[in-house]
Amino acid sequence: MNQLIAKRLLQTIPLLFFVSIVSFVLIKAAPGDPVLNFVTPNMHAEDIERVRHNLGLDKPAYVQYFIWLKGVVQGDLGYSLVNHKPVLEQIVERIPATVGLMSGAIAIAVILAIPLGLIAGSNRNRFVDKCINMFSYIGISIPGFWLGILFIYFFAVKLGWLPSMGMRTIGVTSTWDVIKHAILPCSVLAIGFLSVYVRYIRSSTIGQLKEDYVQIQYAFGSSKTQVLKRHVLMHVLLPIITLLGMSVGDIVAGAIVTETVFSWPGLGSLGMTAVKGLDYPLIMGITLLSSVMLILGNLIADILYSFADPRIKKMR
Amino acid sequence: MKKIFSTVTLLILIIAVVAACSSNNSNTTPNNTPNTGNEVSGEPKQGGNLIIAVASDPVILNPNYAGDRVSLTINQSLYSPLFQVSNGEKTFYLAKSLELSEDGLTYTLTLRDDAKWHDGEPVTADDVVFTIEKIVDENQNSLLRENFFVGGKAIEVEKVDEYTVNFKLPQVNPAFEATLLQVFPIPKHVYENETNLEKSDKNNAPIGSGPFKFKEYKTGEYVSLERFDDYYGGKPYLDGVTYRIAKDTNTANLALQNGEIHVKYVDPQDVSTIEATNNFAIYPYEEGRLAYLNFNQISDTGVLNNIEVRKALSHALDRDELIQVAYTSSDYANAAHSFLTPDGLFHTNDVTSYDYDAEKAKQILADEGVSNLKLRFIVSSGNKAQEAVAIYVQQKLGDIGVQVELQTMDASAYGQKLNAADTTDYEVFLGGYIMGYDPDAYRILFLSDATSNFSHVANKDIDALFLAGAGEGDVVKREEIYKQVQELIAAEAIQYPIAYTKTIVAVSNQFGGVEEAKLKPVYIFEDLSKIYKK
Repeated sequence: MNQLIAKRLLQTIPLLFFVSIVSFVLIKAAPGDPVLNFVTPNMHAEDIERVRHNLGLDKPAYVQYFIWLKGVVQGDLGYSLVNHKPVLEQIVERIPATVGLMSGAIAIAVILAIPLGLIAGSNRNRFVDKCINMFSYIGISIPGFWLGILFIYFFAVKLGWLPSMGMRTIGVTSTWDVIKHAILPCSVLAIGFLSVYVRYIRSSTIGQLKEDYVQIQYAFGSSKTQVLKRHVLMHVLLPIITLLGMSVGDIVAGAIVTETVFSWPGLGSLGMTAVKGLDYPLIMGITLLSSVMLILGNLIADILYSFADPRIKKMR
Repeated sequence: MKKIFSTVTLLILIIAVVAACSSNNSNTTPNNTPNTGNEVSGEPKQGGNLIIAVASDPVILNPNYAGDRVSLTINQSLYSPLFQVSNGEKTFYLAKSLELSEDGLTYTLTLRDDAKWHDGEPVTADDVVFTIEKIVDENQNSLLRENFFVGGKAIEVEKVDEYTVNFKLPQVNPAFEATLLQVFPIPKHVYENETNLEKSDKNNAPIGSGPFKFKEYKTGEYVSLERFDDYYGGKPYLDGVTYRIAKDTNTANLALQNGEIHVKYVDPQDVSTIEATNNFAIYPYEEGRLAYLNFNQISDTGVLNNIEVRKALSHALDRDELIQVAYTSSDYANAAHSFLTPDGLFHTNDVTSYDYDAEKAKQILADEGVSNLKLRFIVSSGNKAQEAVAIYVQQKLGDIGVQVELQTMDASAYGQKLNAADTTDYEVFLGGYIMGYDPDAYRILFLSDATSNFSHVANKDIDALFLAGAGEGDVVKREEIYKQVQELIAAEAIQYPIAYTKTIVAVSNQFGGVEEAKLKPVYIFEDLSKIYKK
């Protein structure tokens, strides 16, 4: 097992190198000029060129990439082109908000998706299955920004139950205040995840119920609930492990749209600002971090898989 | 069963959509004077916290480097300017007076002696000299640097005594006052040992001389300021001001209605919804901005190099209709004819104007032998005003037989296209600028070799007039020069001026003192110390 982990971690290095090159090329290929962030109509041509030179943007693209790469190898992600603050500092500052929001949303989604998926799968084509299906399709189809605005309108403006935006009330430092602010964005994200998870668990349940061992359990006189709880549940957890592994990247990259709509101060809204300003050191920093987390997430999922299903361990 | 599900789904969607759109349908006519709704009556009270919505994080809380709207707005509360100009009238802040020598080459600035920095140190001539020296220092990368050079030579700044500073100009330059407007002194005792002011940690906890001092900045959330009791302009009424970062306009409008925000810019299209709550006063005010159609004279088809074609296009458009389309009402935009804005020096709207006359437009094109004319109109996607204007122009020019192809692109690509010196693959775009009160600032839009000459006009007479205006010390002669330029640019149909647009700000009825605080382009309020809670 240790060998496997070491091998996988070593594989990460060329992968990250590849990701960084692709990201850099894409950013540079995008139309636009980061220097325009600083250009005001009153500026003279000399001022604009001076800004370009000071930001190092007058150098060829490959030189810019290697300067950036050299920094990264030494643990320095560089400075933002826009506000000149260290990239690492800005990312670290935003991580708690994003991780808190996303983990909350994923946890809620998993907790609700397991029973709903099991119920839907075990009642295939019945009324309850169709209801769950319908809501899951709606959840997948509704754009997050629209649902977000709708939630704010109902729960904040019309009913006045919850705050509409931000992470805290100005001047208030209580945890309850943060939770109150998180309820709406968390719900919007959870609905998105839930709708997908339910579909996976439902189809997995349907598959398992057809297996011979389930038929044998019924023959031994087990009830449907007993079969679902004691046998099917264990098996349907496997796709959830894969899904969660893949979601680890999301946890860090953040929910760009939802965070922007709710002005949630996480990595998603930071990423949005960086992309708009073509702030390549910041974009690269966020991309690199989410790639690392995605790779680690998949590694952890694989390890968990081998515990949950010993056949996989043997195959390796 | 299927039918039941489809019906239920449809019903849910209809209810959701109807509920989202149902309220606030009242079609309130906007007023030119502020609509104060259900005002909370009462005398100014001490205390209260004003929450102002801003669209992004500030880039930098140091006025030598602030170029974005949010940083400029917050810096205005933290730092004091030397003086400001509104409608040609000077209001002095840190300065007490500004005098020009008889030869027009030396400005003497006298500072008030009771101003203090937020850490209690006095504001002196040393701070002003230090600020200018740092702006001019090439290594410090200030955005304002080139403004302190006249005819390629730097302006000299020297301390006369503790509260007096002299500025010596290499040649007469009446526009220098406009340069000083942009100076917000920074404290020498705080920054003097910093090697790089732009990256200095001192910018994270700025020490200014304005009515409010820095309290807290939570990135992505808010910047919080608190009252500075020793403010030379008198103790501010409010306990504090918070700039709340709201990146999504729709959410910010809902937060405004919900009372979580007290002050916010609003689009003309949203005014009726905000007014319907009866909790806000709506203030439309001149921001010294011109919205115009830009004609690219160097496009690869070369069609707009012909003055007669530009005149024909101008005749094909109805300015009043255009204002209705883009700004919903003439209350939010005044018809424009000159490239100078009404708040600036020497503006006149009494210039040649090619007004709406579709038949004349057709006739001109026929006389010129121009047929099957095609124009490419570039549009920044997601910009409501640009999209609306582009569609209107497409339709109106279609009426005279000119085909307009709309090319929509994202904001970055659009910006790059405009700023490239030699872009030839488009003919028209909708532009807008705020250039300040001195007409010399506009020269970079029209001089043959200027960086922001988006029309790519090359006219020796225009060049000569702008250069003459910059060096003319006699006000009467200077006014005459700028009137000539306005007439020349209008007559040549170099651009199609649409309107002097207004900024619209919604202010909660819980707060008063807006008139005294003076609404100001870009900064929202000129002096926040005058705002009070009712």
